[in-house]
Amino acid sequence: MRLLKSLGRVGLSFFLTLAGAVLFVQLLLWAAPGDPIDLVPNGVEFRAELEAEWDLDRPLPARFAAYLGRAFQGDLGTSLTYRPGSSVSELAWPAALRSARILVPALVLTLSVALIMAWFSGRRGGPAVRLTQAVSIAPVFLLAFLSVTFLNESTFSLIESGAIERPFWFALPDTDSWVRSLLAILVLAVGSGALSEVTAACTDELNHLRNAPFIEAAVARGARVGPHLVWNLIPAVASVFSNRAAFFVGGLVIIEKVLQLNGAGAMLWQACLMRDYPLAMGLTVMAAGAVCLARLISDVVRVAVDPRLREAA
Amino acid sequence: MQTRRISILLLALFFSAPAWGQALRYAEDKAPGIVNPVYTTSMSEARLNELLFEGLYIDNTELMSVPALAETAQLSDDKTEMTIRLRYDARWHDGVPFTSADVAFTIEAMKNKKSLSTERGRVAWIKKVEVLDDTAIKLYFENPEARPQDKLMFKILPKHRFTGVDMKRTDAFRTEPIGTGPYKLVRYNDDNSIALEANPDYRETVKLSEMVMREVSDKNYQAKLLHYESLEALVRVLPRDLASLQNNRKVELYPYQTNSWWYLGFNLGKKPFDDPRFRQAIGLLIDQEALMAPIGTGDLLSGPYVKSSPYYNHDVPAWRPDEFAASGKLEELGYERQGELWTKGGIPLELTITAHQSLESSQEVVINLQSQLQAAGIKVNVEFLDEASWKARVWRERNFDIILSQWTFDRNEDIRDQFHGKGSRNFTGYSSSRVDALLDRARESTDPHVKKAALREVHAAIHEDAPMIFLWTLDSYAALSTRVRNVVVHPFYFFTYVLDWRMD
Repeated sequence: MRLLKSLGRVGLSFFLTLAGAVLFVQLLLWAAPGDPIDLVPNGVEFRAELEAEWDLDRPLPARFAAYLGRAFQGDLGTSLTYRPGSSVSELAWPAALRSARILVPALVLTLSVALIMAWFSGRRGGPAVRLTQAVSIAPVFLLAFLSVTFLNESTFSLIESGAIERPFWFALPDTDSWVRSLLAILVLAVGSGALSEVTAACTDELNHLRNAPFIEAAVARGARVGPHLVWNLIPAVASVFSNRAAFFVGGLVIIEKVLQLNGAGAMLWQACLMRDYPLAMGLTVMAAGAVCLARLISDVVRVAVDPRLREAA
Repeated sequence: MQTRRISILLLALFFSAPAWGQALRYAEDKAPGIVNPVYTTSMSEARLNELLFEGLYIDNTELMSVPALAETAQLSDDKTEMTIRLRYDARWHDGVPFTSADVAFTIEAMKNKKSLSTERGRVAWIKKVEVLDDTAIKLYFENPEARPQDKLMFKILPKHRFTGVDMKRTDAFRTEPIGTGPYKLVRYNDDNSIALEANPDYRETVKLSEMVMREVSDKNYQAKLLHYESLEALVRVLPRDLASLQNNRKVELYPYQTNSWWYLGFNLGKKPFDDPRFRQAIGLLIDQEALMAPIGTGDLLSGPYVKSSPYYNHDVPAWRPDEFAASGKLEELGYERQGELWTKGGIPLELTITAHQSLESSQEVVINLQSQLQAAGIKVNVEFLDEASWKARVWRERNFDIILSQWTFDRNEDIRDQFHGKGSRNFTGYSSSRVDALLDRARESTDPHVKKAALREVHAAIHEDAPMIFLWTLDSYAALSTRVRNVVVHPFYFFTYVLDWRMD
């Protein structure tokens, strides 16, 4: 019974988060000047017909409720202007998977590097940590632009001088390139303070644990403290993971535009510019879902590891 | 030793080099949203349609109409009917023969209100189409037409791929387009690129076997990609990239003249812009040459045509800066100079210039224009709008003071929609019975000399009334890799002469 209640609370939180995110985006798009009919060259002539066809003749609350109802049945609607007539699911899911291939490795990379640096630097202000802060402070868009420019220009110089042949990944290759994806992962993992903040959080938590009475007792008994530190760090890392997920989702939009990756972020940008309401909201549902999923994973891990939280739950 | 081997292997993997194929890759700011000529909304779609589809007529390199899907045509003596015999050897990409039913279907679908076609205006002049047999049709016109073939370049669609003339944007055709053109659509890729291959059944030899359209939203990056040889063609080069591309021995620049001109448009529904003296005063306060210089080269204009147009009135000079004359006009309107600012009733003269975000170089022009007008004593605010905001504010709501924008026309240069009192694109709200009568005369006349005379008068009248201050037409350049030979570009559709292109 208690489990059911917990599941119910989780489900309600999930639903409310998605509904809130969709409402937020719908309000923003509604408030923005212009609508998809304005983008049709002779839209003025056909406004009434297009409003009826695209369901824009109903009041906003009615449209919102209808959208949520369809979304929970798996129908995210049809694109209006980005790819007229294409199902939002058909467009958005492949894009979301492409973005996930950047997002998840970036999160894992940030956490891994941050933990390693926190473990071995021991205290704030070690040289590795300071270097990390210096690089990580750069905004994601700047880091992406500089890195791709440097890579392209230096490679092109080498090609022109005959030192190397043209690499397969060079400058907008004809097929997907792991190098471009790797660059995106690195920039997302490091930029806009991601790596430095996570490193600082991990360092703080590690220092706190190292000074905890149970660790001191273990040291006094001559026991190995490593496993205890690692196990007790997991809940904190899980919290950091779920907190950063939302920031990383936002950073993806910038990186995908700069690096010409056609992921969910770039598609969302385009959908908003083109006032493609169903596509923008569909992508928002997916982004909100990803953040909720990260939070859920974090909560499950924390509850699984920490017996105190299990009892409270 | 082991580490060294692994490092070398990784470096080799990193720098390993497959050669690029023989595809001609060109860039567009935005991938086409829909591949159906009846619903064209952007130039990227129009250029793609040029590769996949054909019209009854096409421009030759002298920009004269020549038959494409048409073979021969006979115009009636009163110029209200035209009998067209069609090619018998044209086939759709799926092998089905092209027939007159396809032409009739296309015209009816475009005219059909339920289709909500963006190209409806292209067939508004056709009253009726009659199928005579499989390879002959007869067109009936609303009014006599001197050269109807000039207007028969819209693309023909296959009747057998649609259920009826009630076409919809969402029809499956949009993702599986079938044309009679020299190229077939092979696939859409995940990165929004579109791969095309030569139509093996095309009646002429297609020398370029493959083409790829790449979506590159950053125009600066497009020029870089041409330098890097990741692209073979740029449709239009930004003025700031011209110098670097000129110095690149692997790139050739191709100048072409578009029927495209920049202008300042006034909102005639708002004071003080409703008074022609105020609009003329603005024209006299602007140094057009100084505005144009930072963004490129071209011709200053005095009317709604480019200088090479037969309708351009060379007797009408462009506005030249004359602060004394401008001051006189402002004083007539009750403005007075108080300190550095023009005022009326103690309120400083203030206006807002609105520009489209994606109009290349608009920021530089607007900022310089702001400086010029502020130096002349007018407070100027500026704003830049995205596409949807622009259409809503300017076209739908008419909520603006002055806009900076650009019009581009095909070879017909039909400015009626922009300046006729009933024009669908007359967002300035301009209305002149004299200009309306001249535009009507030009449309109805079958004598090219009468049409030319009428439109030159329109030019003079519009210049004087100044609903717009016509600024300039810029020289346009395409840039292609030197590997691409025999290049001639069409000023509007770009790929019209692609059959002659070949790649080394």
